[in-house]
Amino acid sequence: MDFMIRAATPEDCKDISRMIMELAVYENMPDQVKISHEVLEQDGFCKNPFFHCLVAEVAEQYRTTEGYTVIGYALFFYTYSTWKGRSVYMEDLYVMPEFRGEFPGKGVGTALMSKVAQVCKEQQCVRLQFSVLNWNTPSLDFYKAKGAQDLTDSEGWHVLRFDGEALDKLAQMAPKN
Amino acid sequence: MDYTIRVATLEDCKDIYRMIMELAKHEKVSDQVKIAQRDLEQDGFSKNPFFQSIIAEVPEQHRSKDGHSKVGYALYFFAYSSWKGRSVYMEDLYVMPEYRGKGIGKALMSKIAQLGLAAGCNQLNFAVLNWNKESMDFYLSQGCWDVTTGLDYHCMRCEGPALEALARGDPKN
Repeated sequence: MDFMIRAATPEDCKDISRMIMELAVYENMPDQVKISHEVLEQDGFCKNPFFHCLVAEVAEQYRTTEGYTVIGYALFFYTYSTWKGRSVYMEDLYVMPEFRGEFPGKGVGTALMSKVAQVCKEQQCVRLQFSVLNWNTPSLDFYKAKGAQDLTDSEGWHVLRFDGEALDKLAQMAPKN
Repeated sequence: MDYTIRVATLEDCKDIYRMIMELAKHEKVSDQVKIAQRDLEQDGFSKNPFFQSIIAEVPEQHRSKDGHSKVGYALYFFAYSSWKGRSVYMEDLYVMPEYRGKGIGKALMSKIAQLGLAAGCNQLNFAVLNWNKESMDFYLSQGCWDVTTGLDYHCMRCEGPALEALARGDPKN
């Protein structure tokens, strides 16, 4: 099946939003999605975008029963390591189920991730980081086959988060100068 | 002790680099630091910076025995959650040992929270090693929660030969 990987445009945000929700459903957390396609348009396509996005598109004859031709995406942004320098964090990688798995290692997911890795090289980024739910065996297998290391298992890294009231409270303690 | 928290400038890179090396030396991994001071200058202060930084500074009379008045820093960048939107990620938080216990670390972290909220962010994320009990206890006491334990997310990384192979699109992947 023919598909192409290209940079997302503001017009793709409706499809990206749709697929973000599909991914959240897969991760059993659909009620956690709080942003709309309008927010994506604003944050991804402003002067200093908060993220970059690639989409996978199939030719018309392969469109889904609902008529979608944009069938996968990768959303990422630049980060920094004070030891190693420029890096990339891949926030999302998703392919609609009916377009997965035909050719393990040669399919849409691999092509999307490969393109993100190419962006790394072009921008002189030395690391590509991302998160996976530890019960998500198909994804863990996919990533480990590509040489990814699990830093939580191997080194004990945990992500901590301030949000909601705790974040407001923390900000209020900031010195006034 | 008086101190101020302010946004870092290009001239601060010398001190930020010094403190990065201090922390690495303390953890006995100085050889792990692969970037130079000029990388910080280029990557933090060009048109599209990869990071932002804030500095904790003390007045002249409190400078260290080596003459340093810049005694702490935090390095952060803007990130994104496809579920929640804009967020901020705190990559480094450091205070020179002789200046700890005075609230400087907390003040640096607060400033990032404040700057993040001002930029429309609704999350402040960072990473801690789960065996670093002192740090874990401190952060959790400040009101944050452990996303890894709470939601079962694991941190993954591709680098070196694996990243190269991925970029090439090697058939065996």
